[in-house]
Amino acid sequence: MTWQTFAFLIIAGFAFTYSGLKFKMLFELMRKHQGKGPALDRIPERIKTAIANVFGQAAVNRKQPIGILHTTIFWGFLVITIGTLEQFVSTIYSGANFEFIGHGPYSVLVRVQDFFTAAILVAVCGAFYRRLVVQPAGIGVSRDANIVLTFTGALMIAILFMNAFYILAHHPFYSESMPVSLALATFLRGYRYSPETNAVLFTAWKWVHMLLVLGFAMYIPSSKHLHLVAAGPNSFLRKLDREKPMKPIDFTNESITQYGAAKITDLSWKDTLDYYSCTECGRCQDLCPAWNTGKELSPKKLVMDLKTNMYRNKSAILAGKYEEVGPIIDENVTEGVIWACTSCRACEVACPVFIQQVDKIYETRRNLVMMESKFPAEVQTVFKNMETNYSPWAFSAADRGNWADGLEVKTMADVGKADDLDVLLWVGCAGSFDDRNKKVLRSFVSLLKKADVKFAILGSEEQCTGDAARRIGNEYLFQTLATANVETLNRYAVKKVVTACPHCFNILKNEYKDFGGNYEVVHHSQFLSQMIRDGKLKPAAALNAKVTFHDSCYLGRWNNVYEQPRAVLGAVPGIELLEMKQNHDQSMCCGAGGGRMWMEETVGKRVNITRTEQALETGASVIAAACPFCMTMMSDGVKAKEKTESVKVMDLAELLDQATT
Amino acid sequence: MNLYVCIKQVPDTETKIKLNADSSGIDPAGIKWILSPYDEFAVEEALRLKEKNAGSTVTVISAGPTRVVEAIRTALAMGCDNGIHVEIPESADNNFAAKALAGALKKEAKVDLVFTGKEAIDDGAAQTSQLIAEHFGMPCVTVVLGAEYGATSVKCKREVEGGAFEMVETALPALLAAQKGLNEPRYASLPNIMKAKKKEVKLLKAADVGASEADQKIKYKNFQLPPPKQAGKKIAGEPAAQAKELVRALHEEAKVV
Repeated sequence: MTWQTFAFLIIAGFAFTYSGLKFKMLFELMRKHQGKGPALDRIPERIKTAIANVFGQAAVNRKQPIGILHTTIFWGFLVITIGTLEQFVSTIYSGANFEFIGHGPYSVLVRVQDFFTAAILVAVCGAFYRRLVVQPAGIGVSRDANIVLTFTGALMIAILFMNAFYILAHHPFYSESMPVSLALATFLRGYRYSPETNAVLFTAWKWVHMLLVLGFAMYIPSSKHLHLVAAGPNSFLRKLDREKPMKPIDFTNESITQYGAAKITDLSWKDTLDYYSCTECGRCQDLCPAWNTGKELSPKKLVMDLKTNMYRNKSAILAGKYEEVGPIIDENVTEGVIWACTSCRACEVACPVFIQQVDKIYETRRNLVMMESKFPAEVQTVFKNMETNYSPWAFSAADRGNWADGLEVKTMADVGKADDLDVLLWVGCAGSFDDRNKKVLRSFVSLLKKADVKFAILGSEEQCTGDAARRIGNEYLFQTLATANVETLNRYAVKKVVTACPHCFNILKNEYKDFGGNYEVVHHSQFLSQMIRDGKLKPAAALNAKVTFHDSCYLGRWNNVYEQPRAVLGAVPGIELLEMKQNHDQSMCCGAGGGRMWMEETVGKRVNITRTEQALETGASVIAAACPFCMTMMSDGVKAKEKTESVKVMDLAELLDQATT
Repeated sequence: MNLYVCIKQVPDTETKIKLNADSSGIDPAGIKWILSPYDEFAVEEALRLKEKNAGSTVTVISAGPTRVVEAIRTALAMGCDNGIHVEIPESADNNFAAKALAGALKKEAKVDLVFTGKEAIDDGAAQTSQLIAEHFGMPCVTVVLGAEYGATSVKCKREVEGGAFEMVETALPALLAAQKGLNEPRYASLPNIMKAKKKEVKLLKAADVGASEADQKIKYKNFQLPPPKQAGKKIAGEPAAQAKELVRALHEEAKVV
């Protein structure tokens, strides 16, 4: 046993024990979370997505040039780790190495490693340039990130010097396969060190490298570089579908005494893995409508703050003393943070490691609303209206069908069973009671008649779907409404539903399943584009207008419906479709989602104003919406910008109806 | 402290009102019932007082047909401890109800404070509070906007005509009738809703509390729905002519000037 073996075993033993204990602690913290995590299903798909996003770096590469820099560092790290492993082995058993794979393959391996060492060094310089010079808004100043980059850069420099002195001291057969190291060696040859000195310098740089690796291993568990270990599993465990039903609470289970998350441990192990995976890259924050209009919420900061909360409560969590764990709401995660979210999911779409920020906010809201009765005061009236009148607006439930007066629209009570119908028209509260949106419904009905569709409405039997209640955190009220609606729909044996409201669409399609409601649900943009494709609607009159389409979050990011609304607009002669800078999954919320429609917006700039400005920038004379709440928000925005004379906000159905005879 | 809240169940403001067969009242079928909003202020005030005085209990009492138990449960969900339902007929008037409520209060061992809303939003009579106090034999402060509670007395700020306020102090036990602005009623937490579902609501018959049909002072008949709202009128023309026409319409058509 040489001194090197001895020293290495002691130091590496210490480093790996230290690091190992830290990882064990992180794992224990995960295990001690009490919330219900996701179930493992659809394994082949998960393997596929993990490969695409870990080895293929698919999500990381959605943003450039940082994507390519990261990919270089990631792949380089994998390849170089083989060399590091070889180095550890050869330090323990002197002379042992991977040359047994044959000179040819070994030369290739060495060549790839040499290439990546230099490439990583370039990438690290690029990353430093980005952080220190370019300074994109989302990443901020991070000491942790600078330490990680310094470690990475230093490691590469150590490798190059180590290899160069090895070439000079030992003249290996694969010198030519390491062009970068060889170039450095050629340069160093100028110093005319003796072969012995070169050998000593090689050993010295080798130790610098090994100590850096071991130091890095000790540093990783308590840094954002933990994503190196956590992001892979997080990709594997990601939500596979864009559609994401909220988790129902079983109110009949009397053993449940805590609804939603009051403490960090009420969240699940998967939430913990989310914190571990966060690289603090800020892509979520860059797209967040709340953050971008000066609200307290930043999805990035939320994840970091929850992690801080967990670490602060570490000893109580590890000891299982849950009663000593402090609340989620603290000086960082304030109630203002929790209520600022529009649940638009721009953060989740942007996240390269598939963190689910919105779920954490939903769970926290559930606790605030159902356990503590704490929510913006104006919401109480909304809850009460939904309880007594089955609508967030204070209108009599008996008047729900009045919007259709004079249109000769049948109700299900008239029809009896849904068997003879093509589709049930789900009107929603906005379509029923909001004057502007009643017009949208009247246009849609006009189109349904033009296309000879057999349809009916529920009239006064329809109740609010409960979307706003659920998003605000009142799961109990939501379930009361959902159960009643499912009972009504099932009583009429409804099979297919069409609605002009993306919130109704999302919840009927994805979330009523958990309460026994299984229907084919389509949004009116999907329905209308199908009618056009089938030739049942033939828009012929030219509208001659520049139109920009505002994506509804619950249509786009929640349900992947981006193209059908555009197809409807595209089918209308004379419409020139102009895209806003932020469109499709990068689109900005109107500010009404997640129950924000029913809350005052007093902090920062109004979200709808910002979005309206983006729409006005296109020069369009019509802002096309496909959602009643977007309609309200964008109309208010146009009013506030004093553009009502030149710019109209219209629903797809209204435009199509105008063009169709 | 032994705190009591007398509440009334009323039709929701958005509900469609229909008259009963003989027009002696409204048809209770198909009505969405709620706890009268002013009574929510009363419940909230009692709960806040209880929270400040450890060992206090809040008992909620309602007089009416079986349906009013629902309103009692709403108050229980907000945090009241006990519920008492005094069964009296749908047709009972304010005095009958007040006699029943006061009778129920008299059966209690000790009453420190009774809270009510300043009026119920259905008949808007604003007299049951005073009648309860009268039948029970305790002072009553109406239209209360604020209160400071002492050990043996209570100081109340109450609204009087002309937007002015007056301060009134009275000995306990006393009845306070809450005005909007006294507090912001809470939204029931789910654990309390769950608990309220299981709580026993004590049932008393009118006879148990010394009330009977003989206490009915009002006979209702010939109820009518308000005439449907007329469409608005727009007066066109020169400003001077508009003003003239407006005055004429107010004088001759609306008969208000």
